[in-house]
Amino acid sequence: MSLRTDQLIQIHSGYRLQWEEAQQIFVLLYPEGLIELNQSSAEILQLCDGQHKLADIIQTLESKFSTTGLENDIINFLTIALDNGWITQHA
Amino acid sequence: MPSPPRWLLAELTYRCPLQCPYCSNPLDYAKHKDELSTDDWKRVLKQSREMGAVQLGFSGGEPLVRKDLTELVQYSHQLGYYTNLITSAYNMDEKKVIELKKAGLDHIQISLQASSKELNDFIAGTETFEHKKKTAQLIKKQGYPMVLCVVLHRQNIHQIESILDMAIELEADFVELANTQYYGWAQHNRDQLLPSQLQLQQAEKIAKRYQTSQKGKMKIYYVIPDYYEGKPKACMNGWGTTFLTITPDGLALPCHSARQLPNFDCPSVKENSISDIWNNSIAFNYFRGDNWMKEPCRSCDEKDKDFAGCHCQSFLLTGDASNADPACKLSPHHHLIEKATQQAEQDNEHELVFRNTKNSNRLS
Repeated sequence: MSLRTDQLIQIHSGYRLQWEEAQQIFVLLYPEGLIELNQSSAEILQLCDGQHKLADIIQTLESKFSTTGLENDIINFLTIALDNGWITQHA
Repeated sequence: MPSPPRWLLAELTYRCPLQCPYCSNPLDYAKHKDELSTDDWKRVLKQSREMGAVQLGFSGGEPLVRKDLTELVQYSHQLGYYTNLITSAYNMDEKKVIELKKAGLDHIQISLQASSKELNDFIAGTETFEHKKKTAQLIKKQGYPMVLCVVLHRQNIHQIESILDMAIELEADFVELANTQYYGWAQHNRDQLLPSQLQLQQAEKIAKRYQTSQKGKMKIYYVIPDYYEGKPKACMNGWGTTFLTITPDGLALPCHSARQLPNFDCPSVKENSISDIWNNSIAFNYFRGDNWMKEPCRSCDEKDKDFAGCHCQSFLLTGDASNADPACKLSPHHHLIEKATQQAEQDNEHELVFRNTKNSNRLS
């Protein structure tokens, strides 16, 4: 399974992205587990809402942080996320 | 200030219709009949959530025997917990599965004792096999993610392949192949439960094969047997760093086995707030950091990774919880583990002692 550029990306239905007030971080929750996310991972996962494709996510974040060259980092993270089953893709 | 609790294990009751001889509940559970009230639990849930706890396991005993389970699930869901029900699924009908879903339950973990009816029902001490299978289907039908948890030991480990086939058939999302950890009843029955090295090697090979073939479909966790690793497990991700267990009668524990540590004075939630317990109690501070460590842990490169291993195991096997975990090959007590694994190479003719109130009263 590899990351596809032509499909929408969303968080897997068994997972939940949530802001944690006590710790001031985003976490990804799933059966009996949680992943504490750093800021960049959280920014990417917030855009995995079934409305965006890879290119949209890159463009949105580069524009939000007024920067360029985020493509590799975003692809690397989403590949890991897909491998771990945190996200899924659909047409 | 210590890091906040992230994981709350709510042991709602010690009552259980099953009698599994590997249960981690204390041998003398029958002495502790008092249970926290619904309001007590709500207070614990709220205070823990405010501190940062976000993963919540309802466990026991069998949590389904608590009449207020749905109410507690709903309350926890409103507080923003990710709610896990850890159950034998015994007596769980479709109405209950739907009711809990409506209350906001996120996930159900079902235990399975074996892949054949005869062995499953023998180990559970109760006829549960057919019912468990049926309930698993209901759980999937209602759209829950489902974890199948199978505690492995010398009496069922040979079924690992058919257990995994059954998990695939039941469409489990995750499978936990948990080699028995020896506390409570499991410790009492250790010699009848500890598998031989050959049994383990065969099982591990099969688990790995399925991990590969099921990649992307069903996640398989294989909990390593520390008796054969020569390395201790990283107890509770570090004492008082992540996990908080509340017993049915309201003791707060840094680990679900800590109740058996003597002279430990685990604080009660009836008299103390969760933040006071977590931050200030002697029990939760006891094994924080590494100042308390003895050699060989104190000067060991691994001490920040394994935290000297499991303190409850050190106590059970050596009589002193601050000794290095004997599972570690560097421990001066490692011969105790080796003796047990050597014994496991031979036939064992002792009978299992089942976890029930009669045996608990006899043993406490």
